[in-house]
Amino acid sequence: MSCRPPRTRADRPLAYLTQERRACPSCGQPIDWRTMFRGETVIRKRFCPSCGEAEETTGQTTHEALAALTRQDATGVYKHTTSTCPKCLALIEAKVVVRDGKVFFDKECPTCGPSQALVSEDADYYKNAYLFARCGAEPLQFTREVVNGCPQDCGLCSDHQQHTCVPLLEVTDYCNLECPICLVDNRHARHITAEEMTRVLDRVIAAEGTLETFALSGGEPTSHPRILELIDLALARKEIGRVVMLTNGLRIAQDRGFAQELKRRGVYVGLQFDGFSKEASIKLRGRDLIGEKEKALALLEQLDVPTQLIFTVARGVNEDQLGKVTELFLSKPHLISLLIQPATYTGQGGGTFGGNPLDRLTIPGVFKAMEEQTGGKLRAKDFVPLPCPSPHCIALTFLLRLNDGGFIPLHRFADLRRYGGLLRNSASLPALPEIEQALQQVIYDLFARPEQDEARPILSALKRAVGAIFPGKPLNFREAIQSGERQVKSIFVHHYMDAHDYDLERVRKCCNHYPQVDGRLMPACNFNMFHRGAAVGPNSPKPAWSTKS
Amino acid sequence: MGLLDGRVALVTGGSRGLGKAICKVLGREGAKVAFNYSRCDEDAQQALQELRQAGITAFAFKASVLDRAALEQMVRQLEREAGIVDVLVNNAGISRVTPFALLEESDWDEVMAVNVKGVYLATQVALRGMIRQRRGRILNIGSLAGVKMLPAPVTYCASKAAIKGLTEALAKEVGPYGVTVNHLAPGALDEGVSHHIPPHRMEEYLRHCALGRPGGVQEIAETVAFLVSDRNSYMNGATVQVDGAV
Repeated sequence: MSCRPPRTRADRPLAYLTQERRACPSCGQPIDWRTMFRGETVIRKRFCPSCGEAEETTGQTTHEALAALTRQDATGVYKHTTSTCPKCLALIEAKVVVRDGKVFFDKECPTCGPSQALVSEDADYYKNAYLFARCGAEPLQFTREVVNGCPQDCGLCSDHQQHTCVPLLEVTDYCNLECPICLVDNRHARHITAEEMTRVLDRVIAAEGTLETFALSGGEPTSHPRILELIDLALARKEIGRVVMLTNGLRIAQDRGFAQELKRRGVYVGLQFDGFSKEASIKLRGRDLIGEKEKALALLEQLDVPTQLIFTVARGVNEDQLGKVTELFLSKPHLISLLIQPATYTGQGGGTFGGNPLDRLTIPGVFKAMEEQTGGKLRAKDFVPLPCPSPHCIALTFLLRLNDGGFIPLHRFADLRRYGGLLRNSASLPALPEIEQALQQVIYDLFARPEQDEARPILSALKRAVGAIFPGKPLNFREAIQSGERQVKSIFVHHYMDAHDYDLERVRKCCNHYPQVDGRLMPACNFNMFHRGAAVGPNSPKPAWSTKS
Repeated sequence: MGLLDGRVALVTGGSRGLGKAICKVLGREGAKVAFNYSRCDEDAQQALQELRQAGITAFAFKASVLDRAALEQMVRQLEREAGIVDVLVNNAGISRVTPFALLEESDWDEVMAVNVKGVYLATQVALRGMIRQRRGRILNIGSLAGVKMLPAPVTYCASKAAIKGLTEALAKEVGPYGVTVNHLAPGALDEGVSHHIPPHRMEEYLRHCALGRPGGVQEIAETVAFLVSDRNSYMNGATVQVDGAV
């Protein structure tokens, strides 16, 4: 065992902001142009396969560039990016258009013709999200060189702008459900072996050094006949803070012994839970699962298994459940995180689900529904974009547990733009130096308020939370990652992309990656749309260069 | 132009002795000066009158350093009338000459309360505004007896040593907010708690003092004025001994 401190990931040399496809000034080919920051300087960088890379400064400061992007009066064509034709999946230019306070992609495929897609239901949120853009970090190892460019070189290529925050390993493609909304097409063909699992763990640890979370997904991971053995392999790695099993919960509901094994091992459960509506369950999951879900939930509560609820929400199907699920989430101590995923219309299930690309639920729509349905307990302004991936991919709020049992969103008493260290792709606030520093700043800002009546209960709660997160004794990595649980809860809204709203700008900074047994780490939306062997659905045709089987 | 023009200074225990001298010098250097006191109204009124007669904008508050509510009210009123406290001099302190063998818990608690808890409470109350404005100077008046081995009461030495630790830790914690915290450790003085020193001990002490005399409160106050001024911008967490070289 080495006594050396773990290697730390270096920042990317440039902070990546936007991307568009324009003609190369030398050869005229449509090529990739990016706006990036080097310190306070704004750089325009272009990548031409024929003429090579080149960069120029724009003369703007970063402040000016961000002010231009966040201008509130912008309507019409706001900017350009690269998206996909929803029919043939060709990479094509998309005009990012602001219309009626919303953001749309307007696209014109030379083969298939025009298409439009709703990207955000709130143009101001979309524009202001750029204020949260920050420099990505490099993994300790890249696997691929850039040959054909994004999204063809995945796994990660040296041009990818963010390391792996959350690896999601699909341990099986067997599943005990056939969900109409599923973005995976389970072939019921293969379980990964213990040897493959070991190889994947070696690979992600080599690439990352340490991992706050390692998630086992599927398929349905509990369908794997040796799932507990795979979990043990992950738990044996001290470099991993949390091992999470993402499940539909059916086996947990039926098998108390299995649930007890999860508890005994200290595994976290990510439970798919889309609300209490039978009709919605049938529409999204193929049958009424409410009773089984409630049974699984009750058992997880009884055993006090730390659990994340994963809520797929679709317009006109179950968005009315957001309030009830939020109330459930806030009322149960073992529910440490809530992940809301607006439905993605890709894959065998999602591709045929029949979602309307012009009237779909997006991140701001989730905020609005939550605000309405919780009576303002949670408000749209409580959420901020997560700066780790593209700020348009994930929004989050952390909720501090008050000493009276209530919760208050951190952003309500602390401007999270100022305390960037708190904005992490993590279910809770871990015992890390940057968290300690940020919390101390928050505490002093509250302390300095002239009127203390409002601040006092928050400061009392922070005192308790800080004492629990930093208990004044040496913590190993896993203890440090887990120490903040039960002090704050987190709510994430993560909008995966499909062929309608695919945005190359976003995917370049993806930090949720699917490790492959061949060593690649695949950015999630690129994998789902272009590379996933099992994702060949009617709505996801195979582009010429795709690696889909 | 004074060292402290436009600043608002609060001195704890400012109605007599060293505290009063500090108030006068800070006022002379341009600060609006407030002090608190806990017992003698007559001394306080006398000090206030002397300050005002010298043309200094001055305020006096009857508030024990152990009474948080009174301290908070004092700072609120001072902020309304003069502005946010820029300078806090924690001067209030007591000494009880009791041999260790005879020390009772109540003796210990009393000295530690005024000398240490009082610094904590007054600092926490005044610090709020300093953090808000990202600027402040805190000077804790300790003692040479808290830094060096001297024949002084154990409770007093322990409490003054605690102030040194408090200074250093707080300096580290609030430095990022533009607030500096320093510690001034005077040697024996010609006023204040030094009166408790028996003549034979004072003679012995002065034999080891290079200047051969006790310090004057005015001399200490002059040093204080510099230490809490903007001219002293990079000193933080420091202990400054003003003792004639003992």
